[in-house]
This record gives sequence, C-alpha cells and structure tokens, in this order.
Amino acid sequence: MATAQVQKPVRDLAWVREQSRPLSLAALALGSLGLILATVGVAVVILMHGLTPVVNIERGLKSAEMTGVTVWAIALGVAAIALGWGTFKKMPNKVSREEAVAGAVLGVQAAVLGGLVLWFSEGDVNIFAINFLNFEGPNQQMEAFLYGAKNTVILALSGEFFGIVLGLLLAIFAISKRAVVRAPARVYINFFRGTPLLWQISFIGIGLPLALGLDISTYTAAIIALGLNMGAYSAEVFRAGIQSIERGQLEAARGLGMSYGQAMRYSIVPQAIRRVIPPLMNEFVILVKDTSLVLFLGLAAGERDLLSVASQGFGNTFNGTFFIYAALGYLAICLPAIRLVNAVERRMRSGLVGIGA
Amino acid sequence: MSTSAERMASDGHLVQLQGIHKWFGDLHVLKGIDVDIQASQVVVVIGPSGSGKSTLLRIVNLLEEPTEGRVVFDGRDITDVRTNVNEVRTHIGIVFQGYNLFPHKSAQGNITVALEKVLKIPSDEARERAADQLTRVGLAHKMDAYPGQLSGGQQQRVAIARALAMRPKMMLFDEVTSALDPELVKEVLDTMKELAEEGMTMLVVTHEMGFAREVGTRLLFMDDGRILEDGEPKQIFSNPSDQRCRDFLAHVL
Repeated sequence: MATAQVQKPVRDLAWVREQSRPLSLAALALGSLGLILATVGVAVVILMHGLTPVVNIERGLKSAEMTGVTVWAIALGVAAIALGWGTFKKMPNKVSREEAVAGAVLGVQAAVLGGLVLWFSEGDVNIFAINFLNFEGPNQQMEAFLYGAKNTVILALSGEFFGIVLGLLLAIFAISKRAVVRAPARVYINFFRGTPLLWQISFIGIGLPLALGLDISTYTAAIIALGLNMGAYSAEVFRAGIQSIERGQLEAARGLGMSYGQAMRYSIVPQAIRRVIPPLMNEFVILVKDTSLVLFLGLAAGERDLLSVASQGFGNTFNGTFFIYAALGYLAICLPAIRLVNAVERRMRSGLVGIGA
Repeated sequence: MSTSAERMASDGHLVQLQGIHKWFGDLHVLKGIDVDIQASQVVVVIGPSGSGKSTLLRIVNLLEEPTEGRVVFDGRDITDVRTNVNEVRTHIGIVFQGYNLFPHKSAQGNITVALEKVLKIPSDEARERAADQLTRVGLAHKMDAYPGQLSGGQQQRVAIARALAMRPKMMLFDEVTSALDPELVKEVLDTMKELAEEGMTMLVVTHEMGFAREVGTRLLFMDDGRILEDGEPKQIFSNPSDQRCRDFLAHVL
C-alpha cells in the first residue's frame, strides 16, 4: 500500500524567526539587554575602576557610570515587562508567546538586580568593603583555611561512616516484629532526632568527658557526636529503604529456607542499599555543613574546621572577609557532592544502574 | 529427586492439613480445611478470587501461619513451635505469581544463593546444580542474565529452576501464570507439566482450567474459605456436584 511519507517537521532557526513577531522580539531584546547591563555592565564598571580593595571597589560602585548602568537596566527591564506582559496573550503562536513571556521575566530580573545594585551603591559601601571585601587578611591565612577544609571533610566523612554503620544496625532493630527489639532503637532514634545537634555536640564534647573523666580529645568527641547523630538519621533512611523492597522478596528468600537474618543479608539489604545511596549522599551534604557546629567546642589550632578557622581570623582582626572565605570553602566541598548526588539519581532513574525491579 | 522410599513416609501422605482456620484481623479466610496430599499427586486448586486458595497454599510452607489447626509435612507436625521451619521449607519449593527473583543477582546467582547459604553446598557444585536446572527449564543460555533482562515467562522459569535446585519433595505454585502475557503462559505451563510427569508432588493454585483438567490428578474447588469439591478433575469439570462450583465453571469455561 502506498502511503505518503510524512517528513518530521524541521524546527531550525529560520523556522523560529518566521514564527517570531516584532513585538515579541522587542520584549525579548529589551529584557535581555537590561539583564546584561545589570550583570555584565555592573561587573565592567567595577573592573574599570580596578579590583584592588577597598578604595577602588568603592570608587567603582559610587561612580556616575554605575548609576547610569543600573538606571538603564531598570528602565529597560520595566519596558520589557510592559511590552511582554501586554502582548503575550495576543501572540499568534507558541514561539512568539514564549518570547514575549521570556522578555517580561528577564525584565523583572533586570529591574530587581539593577535596583539592588543601585540601592547598595547608594549606601555606605566603604564599611561593607572594609568588612567583607578585605582580602588581605584571609589571604595570609590560606594555609589555615586549607587544613580547615581538610578537617571539615574528615569530620564529615568519619561522621558519615560511623553513622551509616550504626544506622543500618538501628534500622534492622527498628523493623523487628518484636516490640522489645524495636523499642530501644526507636528511643535512640527519636532522642537524636529530637534534640539539637549543637546540644549533642556540647554534651558529648564537654559534658560527658568531664562527668565521666574520659580522656578523649575534643576532635574525637566531635566525630563521635556527629556519628551518633548521623546514625539516627541514616537509620530512618535505611528503614525506609528496607521497607520499600517488595514483600515478595522476603517471602521468596524465606520460601527457599533462609532464616530472617539470611533473607535480610542476601536479599533485602543489598537491594535496599542501592536505593538509599542518593538520600545517604544528601545526608552527607547536610553533615558537611553541620560539622561547623564543632566551633562551640573550641578546637585546638590544628583541629579547627573551616568555620573555626574563619571565626579565629575574625576574632583576631575583626575582618568579616574570613567568613566569605569559609562560605566559599563549604561551597567548594558541597557543590561537587551535590552534582554527584544528582548524577547518581539521574542514572538510577534512567535504569543504567540496577536498583531492583 | 527424592527416592520413592522417602515418599512413602506417613502412609503416602506427604502433607496433612488438619482443621485449618485462618483469620486476617476479623476476616475469616479459611474456615476449617482438612486435606491430605499424597506423594506424586498433582492437586489443582480452583475457585473465585478471595476464596482462600492462595492462603491455603501458603499455609503448607507456613508463609502464613494458621490461626488454628495443624500442618503435618512428611510425618512431622510443622506447626509445632519447636520445628525448624527453615529446614522444612528447604523440602517445599514455592513459585509466586510475581516471580520474586532477586533483581540484584543473575539467573544462576538466584539459584546458587540458597544452595550455598542454606544447604551449605560448595559453590562449584551449587553452580553446577544451577546450570542443570536452568538447562532443564530451557534457559541454559540465560545463566548470566539478570531478571530485568528476561521476559516474564523466562523469569518465571528461572523461579521454578530456583525452587527445583533445592531438590524439594513438593512444589507449590501460586497463580504462577496470572502475571504473564498470554503468549508466555504456555512455556511456563509446559515446564510444570513435565515436572508433573516426572512424579513431583504439586499443589497448584491456578486459573488455567486447561491445565487443571489435563495435568491435575486431583481438583479442589474452594469458595468462601471452604473446600466444596474434591475429586477427579475430569469428573468435576464434566459433572460438578456443588451448585457454586457449577456456577463458577459456567463462568470461566
């Protein structure tokens, strides 16, 4: 039978241009231009005056060029909003409609950003720059920041490791059909989820060694506290993971003569572990930031984490820029971890990694 | 396979269900079941959904515990708390509607895990046994495939091989073709038929009336937690004595 071959329609740039309307294009152009001024424009003006702290940055922000750039960004943004918002409903096709909407949204972003920069540059830029853009002090402490970052990672990794081992054990107790086995696990989990981590770190790091005469370093105590806390949270993750495995898996294992423990070990837990990898990695990202609470233990010089290093620097110089560096340090650790979690989740969803039927 | 001498234990009765009642909460699912199954019998259980067929089958290997009554397997009261249920289950193979293969293990790994960890068979021998059973169900070439890479029919045949590798004295089949696409049903039923012809004792819950008539040596019709018919499949199909059985067969045939 001879049927006409239907070609897949071409959706190239020429086609898009054909669909566009002058007004929608104008809205898109105005919005884009406004946002470019509010970002690239502002950066160029600052660079023109030089990045050397503190005076040049202040000069850049206070310059007539800066006022011009921001006012223009706001004006273009408002124009894009008016045009895009006013016309998008009348656009005849999807492409032009989307262009008008995008123009209006970009306009909002340009106006807000331009307004913020303008507002900020009108203020007392000098004091801000001295406190938070004063790179000289922290630059001299680079070494301290590096071992601070190392300690943050060590604290988080050891806490995560102990937490996972403890959490799996607690989860297996928590799903027992025997109330006498479940109860202690529940009490533990609820206690550590129900009290602040800061309380736990203080109690275990300061209170317990004093009360029991234990000779453990603050650093070890911090790891113990983080591990005990992480244990409670990962127990809940494991419990949910184990309970998400179909009932038939347990029945198949028991039907083959396996004991409950064997069924857990050879069938349920290996499948559950695959499923809980992304949430456990998320817990790790949270833990990285929570390690900053060890600040309250007053760690010795070589044991300090990122925030303790920054806090020490700030204490000595009253230069808040140390905290900016600490934030960049946490981002440097967390962003790759977040990317990794997302990548693993994506792979699991696409079925490239076996996670169980 | 177990020898015929073993099968003659307890007067040829491999399984005796005595006064079985089962409640799920307030729901009375089995209302007094008494059945003896002899070695080499192929007992097919039919009946409307919710009649308690699957529960009855799962009570034989104690995946469900009877609320009342005794289960005697091979001359032993396995409802006695002192019985090692895990050991008893190694003699009773079970195949489920949903296959329930271990998704993280290959076809061969699905079979060897219980051989090695439960029967403590050395891994070379376990792998050999697995290979034999997979050959028997016609899946020798799928030894290293994971369940996700197999069709439903193939998965179900691996599940049968997994149960057979334990060399059970009896096999339980719980609606094993119900989840399969129609064109895959036959390969599974053929495997079961071969097994029946080899003399395996089987308890089969199914909706496949053709199989029940052709392969079954005994038919039980259940409704509302009771066994209402018990006899020759051909006899019951041609001339059911119970009214509800007659209505049921009129609906499904």
